[in-house]
Amino acid sequence: MVLLANRDRRRAPHGGGTRTGTASRSIRQQRWFAPLLLVAPAVVWLVVFNIWPSINTVVLAFTNAKPLGGGSFVGTANFERMLDDDQLVYALINSIVYMLVCLPLLTVLPLLLALLVEKRLPGITFFRTAFYTPVIASAVVVALIWNWLLDDRGAINAIAQSLGFLSGPLPFLTDRWLLLFSAISLTIWKGLGYYMIIYLSALGNVSRELHEAAAVDGAGVVRRFLSVTVPGVRNTMLLIMVLIMVSALRVFSELFILTNGTGGPGGRVMSVVMLIQMYSRGFTGNLGYASALSILLFVITVGPMVVLARMNRRS
Amino acid sequence: MVRSKASITVVFLAAFGLVGCGLGSDDGEDRPVEVSGEVDGTVTLQTWALKPNFTDYVEEVIAGFEAEHPGVTVQWLDQPGEGYSEKVLSQAASGDLPDVVNLPPDFALPLARQGILLDVESADEALHDEYVAGGISAYEFAGVDGVFGYPWYLNTDVNYWNGELLDEHGLDSDHPPATVEELMDQARIMSEESGGDMYLISRKPELGDLVKAGIPVLSDDGSEFVFNTAEAAALLDEYREAFDEGLMPRDVLTDAYLGNSQLFIEEKVAWSTGGGNFINGVRESNPSLAEKIVPSMAFGTPPLYVQGLSVARDTSNPAAAVALARWITNADNQAEFARIVPGIFPSTTASADDPFFTESDGTGDDDAKVIAFDSLAQAELLQPVEVDEAMSTIVNQQISLAISGDVTSQEALDTAVSRLNAMLDTP
Repeated sequence: MVLLANRDRRRAPHGGGTRTGTASRSIRQQRWFAPLLLVAPAVVWLVVFNIWPSINTVVLAFTNAKPLGGGSFVGTANFERMLDDDQLVYALINSIVYMLVCLPLLTVLPLLLALLVEKRLPGITFFRTAFYTPVIASAVVVALIWNWLLDDRGAINAIAQSLGFLSGPLPFLTDRWLLLFSAISLTIWKGLGYYMIIYLSALGNVSRELHEAAAVDGAGVVRRFLSVTVPGVRNTMLLIMVLIMVSALRVFSELFILTNGTGGPGGRVMSVVMLIQMYSRGFTGNLGYASALSILLFVITVGPMVVLARMNRRS
Repeated sequence: MVRSKASITVVFLAAFGLVGCGLGSDDGEDRPVEVSGEVDGTVTLQTWALKPNFTDYVEEVIAGFEAEHPGVTVQWLDQPGEGYSEKVLSQAASGDLPDVVNLPPDFALPLARQGILLDVESADEALHDEYVAGGISAYEFAGVDGVFGYPWYLNTDVNYWNGELLDEHGLDSDHPPATVEELMDQARIMSEESGGDMYLISRKPELGDLVKAGIPVLSDDGSEFVFNTAEAAALLDEYREAFDEGLMPRDVLTDAYLGNSQLFIEEKVAWSTGGGNFINGVRESNPSLAEKIVPSMAFGTPPLYVQGLSVARDTSNPAAAVALARWITNADNQAEFARIVPGIFPSTTASADDPFFTESDGTGDDDAKVIAFDSLAQAELLQPVEVDEAMSTIVNQQISLAISGDVTSQEALDTAVSRLNAMLDTP
């Protein structure tokens, strides 16, 4: 095309050439800015909503900025403050426990669920929909349901006591570890359907012939699951693991809902995001310290992702 | 490659430039504002969650103001109840605060410190004659001279008892508890009589409860928190013992105030606190309960809740803005508002002898109104306005730990004071 255009230009150097030459020149003249024009909205979006806030957060972490105040440079004071913040220690422990429990459960259970609902049985759509419903349930509804279930006078305690399993109520919402594991259960309940859908699409790509061949070779259900299904959805599994890790380390809604925003007795069931929210809110919010916490969260979130990426590359 | 590096550099420089926009200065804070002159032009008014219930009232007040000052136009903006502080914060940060804006004292404090609000004391000589001292002092803040809002309507807390439950469980509804000690004693009796099924108490103490008990929270100069006293620890110990004995539900530890009033409405607990209009609200949810409620005065020092109207310092129409704030908060308009919303009270001195607030027709509703009005004479802002949301959360968390017995009351108070002082020190 370029050669043709050059030839055309030689043939008609002062314009008014053939129709082919005019058209190609017109296309070429538009080319240099057309791509820029096309990517401009995405670039603007990225700069305004991603890059700028990220840089702003880094800058604020070295200041004592308040929402209404100017804010002056305080060096590494906000990072030094983290070392004395025992609430941060609790928050980090909670976030890590959250990740360690959620990661295996939310990686494996949705896959098993997807295998169950993948079968073309009458009424299977109902089960698929039912498993997915928690994903689309509003936070307010979820809060009401789980508070009714777990309250001292809630359904679980009432049923367990009426059946004689418990003599008194279990403090699901007031004991640090029970509260944390209640929140983890809520996350798993809400996440099962979401990851199940992702696995369902991946299972569609696992060759049926491989299963049949393995069965002919005498492989049982478990063997076929481990040797055919799991390798077939391996990339999806890694993606899901990354998603779970990031969302578990950044957990907020579940803990906020079950503790009425208090972080539980003594604030010992707070996550790092809840701490960030607590310090940054309101007219006198400490944006500097909240930003420093955000950077810490970013660092601890990126760490496991890098490890997973390396594992993926090596294998 | 060179071009891409250059592009990245430009983007980063632009971003840093934009970042710099957030770190502004407070120029012009001492510039005097001229508020005398003709009241005309356009003035904006922002209220908090008054639509749709009180639309007619506000429109009537605005119409009266426009009739009083021909040539002036009021643009009324009502913000929803949820997220009001965030809304005001964004308006203040972007310089778009309406001319006259409804701000409670804790919202007004940071804005006053940033020089965003007008000192109405210097703009209005009659301020101290026309408004009650408690209302005015709510808008005076340590470290800044002046009064940064016209007090609008006032409220306080009243104790509400389920008379039927008290009588059923060995107590006397004609003599409900009048002190925290009596509350604990009667809670014990109720628990014993009901076999542990009924609670009298369903809330844990808060910072305000320390003030009610006469414990100072903040030093006189506002420089440090001082509520980690032996008296405060003794008060928390009383609640801890009550919690230990099962005199209150375990979920008080997660601090849901709505839980307390909701349990009262469901008749699962026999005590709650609320404003002067509480019974009216209960009637909507549980009409049969409303008739059983016995009101009594709050324990110790009653809390003072104030709503006020502040004027933006950068208003383009200061004369009209001050005149509008005065008009809305004048005695006649406030008295009219208090008649529409039972349970709120005018902040004007002229309303003190209004028989509507001082005489009861014998119903629980009216008794509560009179008790609340009488309480206002001793009511105080219980929580210092310096205590922001994060500070409240930290105090509540530590009180929870003390009540549950995880740490001693003194340790919890020391931790709370130390953390709050660290936050107070942060400029």
